Formats: sequence, structure tokens, C-alpha cells
Amino acid sequence: MGFFDFVQQQSGKLLEQTLQHIGLTFISLLLAVLIGLPLGILITRKQKLAGTILGIAGILQTIPSIALLGFMIPLLGIGAQPAIVALFLYALLPIIRNTYTGIQQVDPTVTDAAIGMGMSKRQLLYKVQLPLAMPVLLAGIRTATVINVGVATLAAYIAAGGLGEFIFGGIALNNTNMILAGAIPAALLAIIFDWLLSLLQKLNLRKAKKGLYILPVLFVGLSAFYLLPAAFGTKLLAGFTPEFMGRKDGNLGLKKTYGLDIRTVVISDMVMYKAIYEKKLDVISGSSTDGRVKAYDLVVLKDDKHIFPPYYAAPIIRQETLDKYPELTSVLNKLSGIINDSIMTELNYRVDYLKQDPAVVAKDFLVANHLWQPEKHGTKGSIRIGAKIFGDGYILANMYKMLVNGYTDIEAVTKTGLGGTKIAFEALTNGQIDLYPEYTGTGLLVLLQASQPTIDSLISDNQKVYDYVAEEFSRKFNIKWLAPIGFNNTYALMMRRQQAATLNITSISDLKNYLVHH
Amino acid sequence: MIQLDNVSKSFGNGKTVVSNVSFTVNEGETMVLLGTSGSGKTTTLRMINRLTDPSSGSIYVNGTSVTTQQPEILRRSIGYVLQNNGLFPHYTVAENIAIVPELANWDKKRITDRTAALMEKLHLPADEYLHAYPHQLSGGQQQRVGLARALAADPPVLLMDEPFGALDPVTRASVRKEFRNLDELHSKTVIIVTHDVQEAFELGTYICLMDKGIVQQVGTPAELLFKPANDFVHSFFEEQRLLLELKALKLTAIRQWLNNGTLENATLNGNNSCWEALEQTTEHDTVTVQFEDKISTINTNALMDAVKQYKHGLF
Repeated sequence: MGFFDFVQQQSGKLLEQTLQHIGLTFISLLLAVLIGLPLGILITRKQKLAGTILGIAGILQTIPSIALLGFMIPLLGIGAQPAIVALFLYALLPIIRNTYTGIQQVDPTVTDAAIGMGMSKRQLLYKVQLPLAMPVLLAGIRTATVINVGVATLAAYIAAGGLGEFIFGGIALNNTNMILAGAIPAALLAIIFDWLLSLLQKLNLRKAKKGLYILPVLFVGLSAFYLLPAAFGTKLLAGFTPEFMGRKDGNLGLKKTYGLDIRTVVISDMVMYKAIYEKKLDVISGSSTDGRVKAYDLVVLKDDKHIFPPYYAAPIIRQETLDKYPELTSVLNKLSGIINDSIMTELNYRVDYLKQDPAVVAKDFLVANHLWQPEKHGTKGSIRIGAKIFGDGYILANMYKMLVNGYTDIEAVTKTGLGGTKIAFEALTNGQIDLYPEYTGTGLLVLLQASQPTIDSLISDNQKVYDYVAEEFSRKFNIKWLAPIGFNNTYALMMRRQQAATLNITSISDLKNYLVHH
Repeated sequence: MIQLDNVSKSFGNGKTVVSNVSFTVNEGETMVLLGTSGSGKTTTLRMINRLTDPSSGSIYVNGTSVTTQQPEILRRSIGYVLQNNGLFPHYTVAENIAIVPELANWDKKRITDRTAALMEKLHLPADEYLHAYPHQLSGGQQQRVGLARALAADPPVLLMDEPFGALDPVTRASVRKEFRNLDELHSKTVIIVTHDVQEAFELGTYICLMDKGIVQQVGTPAELLFKPANDFVHSFFEEQRLLLELKALKLTAIRQWLNNGTLENATLNGNNSCWEALEQTTEHDTVTVQFEDKISTINTNALMDAVKQYKHGLF
């Protein structure tokens, strides 16, 4: 699908995001002007304060934007408020500094003449200082606008909308068209606003005086854009990751198969769980074995119409390695069938939330299940076990390492932290690693990129998917799928346990019915 | 009328820049504050319109102490001209001139009329310059607009801080001449700050010569030249003494040493300076001066002889 097809298909969403983006930019800019301008004027009169105020604004400017948004969540939750406050803080420095500089650089003879002729402080400010500082002041507003258009993309991380939804969704889905559909309008907005303000700046001084009055009206008008797309929605609020928003086995599937119509905000995976725990959201798209499901006492809604493909984990291994060390099969299969969803969640909880060492968690688990044996320090050879950077991989890789070292004469080393699916799989096919844990769903959708009819025919049955990927991998890549471990790390909708119980919701269909009737 | 009474100014660091300055300037008179840089003349001027407040002493403008008035109101009744004109770059010529009348809420018609009248007096063609911005004008024109702006609301008092200081010598001479001939000034009390000795002699009814914040002498130009109060005053004019003397000396002062001529068409009178007579004699050999009681026709020698006699009589 071409870029323009994508834009056309998503034009409604694009317009909404663009309006939100403009709104976010200008609400915060307006606030920054309302606060920054008087502060800038104040410090021209009270020079002693200048260092302090410019210093504080300067420090705010240096805080990385994603960190600043992060700080805002405990204070203001998620959504527009923290995003606007963060953007406001970024816009503050250029506006205060340029107001201050603009007024300071007014020819002292001119101010002297103005005072000498009997102008009051107020008259001096409005008739002399502000009009003459206007070009510099506008340059500050220009800078702030461009900064804000850029930083506002990050608002999508905390459910405040804007073009970042497409950008981060596109990055997550590896969808270039989607990234561009967010990035190009964002860049255009920055260029257009910068250009418009530069026109204002270049107007002769007389008209710039009038610009002073046009500007607030313009800002208020543009700010109002943010409010347009909001408003109508359902009683419950869902927060979905950018990736989930754009996937067929995500939000699109929810709409199509369940007819689920819920007010939705886009939010980063990093803050999503916390946000639902703090009751800022009611439904989120999580991963079923995420440790935070346990940490925040969430409950996974049953996918009764099977839109989420099975993501059963199993070790995949190079056939070459298996041929060389046939004993590996039985050793690696020792984990098969003993880790279910809730056990994996518990293990992840200990690593992600309690911050325990994955190696320790792995060993504890093996010991508890009487699988652990001391290392044999064999010299038969060595294999490398990989793991993706996120999720269950670290723990599983450590377990496999201990099993191999304990039960065979082969020495296993781990090579964890492989960026993502593509990187891990490349490493496997190139022989840089010998095995790593993979999910059946990922194998089917990402690595094999199976055709839609094939997917549709398999997706609701875990065993069919497993058989299909096992056969195809063997044929295409000479890679063997060993027995599934037993847990299904799939997408899931989840709610707070308490709320789900109160509303009597256990499945996605229940949720849909609840929304229809309320 | 402006009166300074033992006015001193010290800054926070304890440095005294003006100490015990006293003088009086009456309506229609021009006082020139003369001195080198750092002599305290500008500070003295700025205390009159309260851009700086004195540490001690009193200042009266038209009989009222300046400290009893609200500074903004006081300043609107005092015309103020600055060295670098201080015109508002975002205002047209007309708007610049109208600043003080606007502050005083004059009606539109009155402002327009006044602006036009002033521009004419200062040789600024209204149709060409009314809506021009300061940067479109020459230095001399800018300074004229500055002058017009100071005079706009017809203030009884005019303060000028090095008003011609930023102009080139030729322009300076012509603007100065225009200034001297302005009828507007006849009824005003004017104080001018300058470091230019010739300018002081040309414009001042009185000169107040200052050094290191202290007044060395207050008097007419001739008094400062011929009756210097101390060595500083004497040496201050040393370099240009002859020129200044000739400029300061009026023909009336030397009339007793001039001949009695016959009736002829006189070109000068007793109020003209010896310098002006000298300019004529070097050009036309002789000049005829009409005094109240006689007429003299003199050449350069006779003129310089009379000047010598006058100086002899002083010492």
C-alpha cells in the first residue's frame, strides 16, 4: 500500500491528530506567552531576579522531554494536562529570554527620551519597549513554536494524542507509511508556523504593533482545535499502545470482530499499566504474561472470539546444532508444559517489578521444580543461547543455559539483549546464536509473513499455528521448533480486577455488551 | 525660571559627581553648562527634570520645587533634547513630534496644526517628511525633529543635553544658527549642556563652567574671558582666546576707541561682535558701525587697536 493510499484511508484520523497537535502546541504556547511575557518584563525592571528566573527556565529546558513527561504523570496523570504543562515549560525559556533581551536592547537614548518627555512606566512599556522589542520577542515565540511542534509528538506517549500516535505506531509496527503520515505533517506544521510568524516579524514596525493584538486571538483560536475531536465517547476509557492501534490482531480486530466501540487514547507501554492502576484508564492492551499484570492486580479479559493469535513460546534451534548435539532436544524440552501464563507472569513480576536478577529467578524456579543440577563443566563443545531485549526471553535463556550446563557436557553461554525479532532471527540464521525462545504468532505473522487466507485458516487454533510454523521453518530456514513451553504471551485486553468484578465483565464480549448498554 | 540651590549628587559608591551647584536662569535666558567629560554638567541637567534625584539641595522650576511634583507631570512641562536625538524609530516624524501633546491629551486638530507649524519653522517640508521615519532622515534633520518634539507642547523650560554634539561641523553650524533664530525660544528658560567652547559662547546668555562637579565660574561669556575667577577658568579658554574674545566682545564695549565717521550706510550695530566686524574688514577693508550716538567707519587695524585698548583698561 502506497503512502498516499494510507493517508487517504486514514484521513479522518490524520485530521484529528493534526488538530490535536496544533491544539496542544498553541494551548501551551499561549500559556507560555501569558506567563513568560510578564516574567520577561519583570526581570528587566528587577535585574536581580534576571539570573534566577532565566536560570530556572534554562534548567527546565535541559530536562529530556520524555523524562519531563514522565515526571508529570504522578502529578497530573495522563492525557492533555501533563502534556500541556510539559510543553508550556519548554516554551517558557525562549519567550522569557527574548522578552528580556528584546527590551534590554532598546536604545537607551530612546527610553531616556521617553521618560524625559513624561511617559509613565506603563506608557513606556506599551508605546516604546514592547513595540521595539517585538521582532526579538516574536523570534522567541517562533523558537518556542517550533520546539513545541516537535515535542508535542511525544504527547502520544501519555495519551494526549497528536501526530505522535502515527509516528510511534509506525515505528512499533515497522510501517513506514504510518511513520511518514505522522512525521511529514508534523514537519510541515513546524515549517508553516515558523514561516507565518516570520512574516509577522518582518512586517514593518507599525503593523507588528497590531500583530501584538492579532497574536493572542490567533493562539486562542488554534488552541481550541484541541477540544474539537474530544468530547463524545463512552463511559469507559481505553488506553492502547501505538502498535496495538494499528494491528489487525489489535484494535482493528476488536472493532471488526467484536464491534467494540470504546473511547480510546494512545499511550506508551511504559506508563499504560500505571495509568490503569491509578484509574486514569479502564481498559488497556497489554501482554498477557507481563509482570505488571500481577503487580497492579489486573485481570485479562477472555478473548472469546479469538482475534488475538496464539503467541505460544517455544525454543527454536538451528538444525545443524541439533544434528551435532542430539541430546539437546530432551534437555530443552524439560521446560515444556510446566510454565503456564500465571507462572510466567509471576516470573516476569519478579524481574520487571521486584527488580530481581533474571539468573536468580531462573535458578529459583528450576530448583523449586527439581530441575536444577550443578554445572558439569563439560568440554564437548559450546552453544550460544539468544534472547530478545524484552519480556520473557531473559529468564528463559537463563533457564536453558542452566539446563544445558547441568545435564550435558556442552557449555552454554547466553547472548541476550538482541534488539527485536528481526535482529534475533538474523543472528540465528547467520549462526551467531544457536537457539532462542520465539513465539508461534511472531513466527507466523512477522517471520513467515504468511498470506491472509493462510492466517485466517490457522489463527484460532494454537496447534495448527504451531504445526504450520514448525513445518515452514524447517523447510525454509532449516530451523527446528521444539515443544511449546506452555504459556501464551499474546495481546490481551485487561482491566482492574476490582472494576471487572463490579461490572461483571470477564470476556471481551462482556465488555462490548456493557458498553452497548451504558 | 530655573533655580538651583546648593545642589549635590553622590552615588552609592560615595563618589560625588556634583557638589554645591547654585545658579539661576531667568525666562528668556540661556544658561550653558560647560565643562569636560565627567565635570558633572549632564548630571546637573538630569536633576532638573528628575531623571536623577539630587542627594541634597533644592531645585525650583518656575518657583515650584521639582520634588513636590509628580515626575511625569513635571517632565511634560520641560522640553528635553538629547545628543543622539532619541527619536522613536517606530514613530513617524509627525508622531514623534506629537508625543508630548498626546500625553497631555490635546485634541487632534491642535496637534496637527502645531506639528505643521513647528516643521515649517525648522525647515522640514511637511509633505516630504511628515510621514517619514527617523531612519529616513539625515542627522541634521533628525536633530531638528528632536528639537521640534521638545518644543511641541510649548514648555516654558527647555533642557538640551549636547544637542548638536552628534552632528558634523557643517551641519552643526547650520542647525545651531536655526536654533538661535527660533522665535519660540525668546520666552523660554533654556539650559544647554556642551563641551564645545564656541557653542557655549554662541548660544549662552550665561555660561556655567564646571570642573570635577564644582562650579568654577558663572557669568556672561565676556566675564569668563576677561574676568576669570581662577586659573582654571583662565586656562580653559587659552587655546582659542583671541577668537573667543572677538566673539564675546560687543562693538559697544570698544566704541570709545573708535573714530567718529560721517553718515554712511551702516552694516553693523553696537550689539554685533568684534568678530563680525573683523569678518567684514578682512573682506571689504572697512566696515561701518551704527552706534546709538555715533557712526564709525573702521578698518582691521583700527578695530584691533581698539580691542587692545579695551584689554589694557581691564588689567
